[in-house]
Amino acid sequence: MFIERLLNQGNAPLIERVLDFTQARHRLIAENVVNVSTPGYRQKDLSLEAFQAMLRDRVAVRSGSPPGSVSFDDIRAELEHPRRGTLFHDGSNRSMEGLMTAQAKNALMHNLAVELLKKQFDSLENALKERVS
Amino acid sequence: MLDILDMGAAGLTAQRVRMDTIAGNILNANTTRNAAGQLEAYRRRFVVFAAGMPEDPSKPGVRVAEIAKDTSAPRRVFDEGNPDAGPDGYVEYPNVDMAVEYVNALEASRAYEAVISLMDVSKSMFNSSLRLIA
Repeated sequence: MFIERLLNQGNAPLIERVLDFTQARHRLIAENVVNVSTPGYRQKDLSLEAFQAMLRDRVAVRSGSPPGSVSFDDIRAELEHPRRGTLFHDGSNRSMEGLMTAQAKNALMHNLAVELLKKQFDSLENALKERVS
Repeated sequence: MLDILDMGAAGLTAQRVRMDTIAGNILNANTTRNAAGQLEAYRRRFVVFAAGMPEDPSKPGVRVAEIAKDTSAPRRVFDEGNPDAGPDGYVEYPNVDMAVEYVNALEASRAYEAVISLMDVSKSMFNSSLRLIA
C-alpha cells in the first residue's frame, strides 16, 4: 500500500502512460514501414497531440483532487489514418522520410520517458535507503 | 515489443523476394525462349504485397501475396535475320523496361534499409526499457 502510493504519485503514472504510448506508436510505425510497398495500405498512427491533451486535462483534474484519487490508467491514444503527404495511385499515402522521422522522434520520446522514470526510481531507492548516492 | 522484430523480418523477406524478382527480370530482358527452348518471350514478373504476417495474415506485418506476370504486349523489334523472328520479320522481346526495373530495385533497396534501421531503433528502445529493471 505504501509502495503503491509512492509509485502512483508525482510524474510516474504519467510517464508510464507515455511509455505505453511510444511502444504502441512504434508498433504502428513499424507496420507502416514494412507495408510501404503494399498497394492500398492505409497508414496508421496514434495522435500525439490528442494524447498529450488528454494527459494535460487529467493533470489539471488531479491538481485539484486529493492525492491518489485520480488515475491515468484509462487514458487511451486514438488510432488515426493520417491524410498528409502525396496520395499515390495505389491509394497509399506513404512517405518513407516522414515515417523515419516519426520513428526517430518516437524513439527519443521513449528514451526520455525511460530516463525520467529511472531517475524517479533512483530517488525513491535513495529515500528508502535513507542516504544520497 | 519483440514481435516488432518478427514484423521487420517479414518486411526484409518481402523486399528480398521483390529484389530477386527484379533480378530475374533484368537477367531475362532479352530472353525470347522459354525453359523448354520453345519460342515464347519472357514475361516480366512483379511481386504483389499484402498486409499481414505470412504465417498469420491477421497479425500486423507484410507478406508476398503473389508473383504476378505482366500481361502487357511484348516489345517487337524488326530483325528478319534472327532465327526467332516471326513470318513478318519481327522478334518478340520481353516486356521488360530496364529503367522501370532499376527504379524498382532502388525502391526495394531503400525499403530494405528502412526496415533494418527500424529494427535497430526497436532494439535500442527495448534496451532502454530494460535499464528500468537492470
